Amino acid sequence: MHALATSLPSTAAPSRLDLWFERRGWAPFDFQREVWSAYKAGESGLIHAATGTGKTYAAWMAPLLEWLDDHPEPDLRPRRRAAAPPLRVLWLTPLRALAADTEASLRAPLAELGIPWTLERRTGDTAASVRDRQREKLPTALVTTPESLSLLLSRPDARELFSDLRLVVVDEWHELMGSKRGAQTELALARLRRFRPGLRTWGISATLGNLDIALAALTGGTDTSRPGRLVRGEAPKEIRVDSLIPEKIERFPWAGHLGLRLLPQVVAAVEEGRTALVFTNTRSQTEIWYQALLEARPDWAGEIALHHGSLDRKVRDWVEDGLRRGGLRCVVCTSSLDLGVDFAPVDRVLQVGSPKGIARLAQRAGRSGHQPGAPSRVTCVPTNAFELVEVAAARRALRSGRVEGRTPLEKPLDVLAQHLVTVALGGGFRSAELFEEVRAAWAYRDLTAEEWDWTLDFVTRGGPALAAYPEYRRVVEADGRLTVPDRAVGRRHRMAIGTITSDAVVAVQYLSGGKLGTVEESFIARLRPGDRFVFAGRLLELERVHGMTAYVRKTRGKSGAIPRWMGGRMPLSTELAASVRRLLEEARDGAFEGPEMTAVRPILELQARWSAIPAADELLIERLKSREGHHLFLYPFEGRLVHEGLAALLAWRISRLRPITFTLAVDDYGIELLSPDPAPLDEALAAGLLSPTGLLEDIPASLNAAEMAKRQFRDIARVAGLLFQGFPGQRKPARHLQASSGLFYEVFAKYDPGNLLLQQAHREVLEQQLERSRLGRTLARLSASRIHEIQLARTSPLGFPLLVTRMRDQLSSEKLADRIQRLQARLEKAAG
Amino acid sequence: MDLQGESLVLLPERALLWERTGTLVVADAHLGKAAAFRAAAIPMPGGTTTEALLRLTAALDRTGARRLLLLGDFFHAKSGRASQTLAAISSWRDHHVDLQIVLVRGNHDLGAGDPPSEWGFACCDEPCLEPPFVFRHHPAEEREGYVLAGHIHPAVSLSGLGRQREKLPCFLFGERIGLLPAFGGFTGGASVRPRREDRVFVLAGDEVVALR
Repeated sequence: MHALATSLPSTAAPSRLDLWFERRGWAPFDFQREVWSAYKAGESGLIHAATGTGKTYAAWMAPLLEWLDDHPEPDLRPRRRAAAPPLRVLWLTPLRALAADTEASLRAPLAELGIPWTLERRTGDTAASVRDRQREKLPTALVTTPESLSLLLSRPDARELFSDLRLVVVDEWHELMGSKRGAQTELALARLRRFRPGLRTWGISATLGNLDIALAALTGGTDTSRPGRLVRGEAPKEIRVDSLIPEKIERFPWAGHLGLRLLPQVVAAVEEGRTALVFTNTRSQTEIWYQALLEARPDWAGEIALHHGSLDRKVRDWVEDGLRRGGLRCVVCTSSLDLGVDFAPVDRVLQVGSPKGIARLAQRAGRSGHQPGAPSRVTCVPTNAFELVEVAAARRALRSGRVEGRTPLEKPLDVLAQHLVTVALGGGFRSAELFEEVRAAWAYRDLTAEEWDWTLDFVTRGGPALAAYPEYRRVVEADGRLTVPDRAVGRRHRMAIGTITSDAVVAVQYLSGGKLGTVEESFIARLRPGDRFVFAGRLLELERVHGMTAYVRKTRGKSGAIPRWMGGRMPLSTELAASVRRLLEEARDGAFEGPEMTAVRPILELQARWSAIPAADELLIERLKSREGHHLFLYPFEGRLVHEGLAALLAWRISRLRPITFTLAVDDYGIELLSPDPAPLDEALAAGLLSPTGLLEDIPASLNAAEMAKRQFRDIARVAGLLFQGFPGQRKPARHLQASSGLFYEVFAKYDPGNLLLQQAHREVLEQQLERSRLGRTLARLSASRIHEIQLARTSPLGFPLLVTRMRDQLSSEKLADRIQRLQARLEKAAG
Repeated sequence: MDLQGESLVLLPERALLWERTGTLVVADAHLGKAAAFRAAAIPMPGGTTTEALLRLTAALDRTGARRLLLLGDFFHAKSGRASQTLAAISSWRDHHVDLQIVLVRGNHDLGAGDPPSEWGFACCDEPCLEPPFVFRHHPAEEREGYVLAGHIHPAVSLSGLGRQREKLPCFLFGERIGLLPAFGGFTGGASVRPRREDRVFVLAGDEVVALR
């Protein structure tokens, strides 16, 4: 985490800090000193770098230095908690779990430097007794989450609590930025800045493609007199990306076809080091690979573990401890282990399946090689031959420093509504003042007066559609001041603070009570008592389901069903997709650089022979007639989500010319439109098939936008306080206040169509689910591209995976496997 | 449709007419649910009660039924007995002063309390025998006849092209028990999986459609 000691800076007499560093064998980096002097000058900023390169101490030492300057004599007396200095530093962290490790790193220098501060954690996991103590008096430094910060802001004495606050550090800001939690954080920071005008905010982030926006969102950005500073951490160590290449590659690959074929090589890779992390892209994959590894190497039992977000907290803690101690040989995990402190002894990182993003790959690579001088290395394990191209593309993009950005949300009103109630509870507010304060938060800089009035009306009267209902009272206005007088409302609000929604999950636990984690309700619903499934790395038998708990017992045997979680799989990022297109263009010109491209060469050469490899500025369109009908394959290479919107849009636009029913299939590379009769493609192209004009009107028309908005509305309903979650200890929240979000949506759509939350749902569908802006940019790119239309005799290698995806929706798994094999065999024969 | 030798008419207003006795049967109105939410400081828009009552009137006018039989959960909750909700129902009752109304109490009614006596609802507990039928709120087999019940809020999930899915309320008639869809507007639906022998009728907008 720090450079080895070379020498102390020669100019000044060694300060207490320098001595502390020296005793540890470290010397401060230049960027750390930069942060410390910027802080001293009253500046805010953002520190960005790859993992584990001293960012924590860059931020933490700044306020410590401030104290040391004011208190030259070390204070080593044992201090009573009550006599410690008041709250000075707030350290925000996105995960409750991170807080423990962070606390330990921060605590280390305090005693040794003779700084009489108290340091504590406060999250959803904090014990009630500790919370009570904190209610009396907060520690000097508090490590907490955005939700817990909102809770503190909901206290009537909130202003006094923060009266001596000097610094807020937002750790892993890149992680919070693009989400509602980020918006919530921005609003909380705006509030704190109102309480303490001189407050400094420092963010810590991984490398991002849009650092200027990240900085603006963190510091408020609207106050141009104090723009904030970007500080780059130590130059990243070399990141090495390599792959496991299968011996034989089919020329007609499809998603997941390589499956566990590379298991022996994975085992060998894991054996190379003492501890390895095997990242997978979904929780199901984690369970599958864990079982596979255990079966291949039963002697590893007890030395390997798995880790993902649906496992019980205790199970995850056990694994994290094991990693820290170095007692685990291998952990199979999802993004659940992306964040957090360095698990020092990891020396091997593997990534199963394409990482779909460059920053993600770099971050995971950064988990390895913590020996000084050792490069970070990640080995990719393709599950589909085309993923090899993605890996090569990711490596290329990393070398040229191209990395994704994170887009902050635009003024989410549900988060604002929640915040208004929080502030009404936390001392109350006046409308005009709070409006100004909220607009100082970057996400809400464009908030209009209408939107403000609507949101205010929503939390006071329930919105215009509620007319005059005396029973409804949430925020109440008296003498121009808005507060929450009803204590029950206040209690319920505090319970529900936060923007994280959970799906309908069923807890899985042993009859004896031990908790394993949760699975989705839809999965359990398909099982009967006696059925077996794999979860938390164990083979379990379902005893019975009672309420929202599934009771299980351990069992032996061969196999069981693997749970599936609905969590969205990441699509290919724009940056990675662009890099893939460039590599394909090179292949088109006969250049195959690197082992991955060499391995997929036969596939690409066949693609060139039967169809074509698109150039980077070309749109390849293949036409094919088969027994199934007329196929149109288009390859924008823009990721699955954009393709979903694009496919529906194109189908709709074509059928405007001639009524045709299409069956659609998409993947990260392209789109298939299948119709019983040939589609009038050329006519459609001439009529503006790919034009970005009219996109906003056409999208809702082409999709079942209402259905998607209904699903999106779930989160919004929860955040805005529509869904009643119940009180702690109460097993089932008040039944008579239960309604599904789909139901809320319908009622609102029917009786309150002007409701801005509905509009937010529609907007979010466009932006997030369909990545509308990305869709718009894609259309603009495609309109400017050359169209390369080809008539095929048979499915090309690029088209084959789309065929399989479509069939997967229609056929059972045995029939599917059979069909695929036969198709492949036929095509292989034709390919010679 | 014919059931147990009786002629029944299934209405798109989510009600059922028993022709011989001129009875309109309706289940799970859950009136006052939105009001209950509002009382708990959850901002539900108004209009659901009015819509339900209008629909009830439409069904009564269309069929000329002389009697209304409510299969439970007429009121949603005690906190939902808001003055405005009660006033609306009272006014509706005045509009249908000669209508005989019977309420078979359901679980929500037990919590919310009986309707005001001025409204002239005859309340009874399940089962309510009227051969060949037995009227209940909770579906359970009865020896004395074919059970018509509510409580479940039955709905079926239909999938269409392009991965479209829709959940629609339905009537579900099994061998011994028939379920009525929830009448109320702000009520959810529970997906049911009909067996091959069951007769299912889906409510799609203005139509009642038999499902094969």
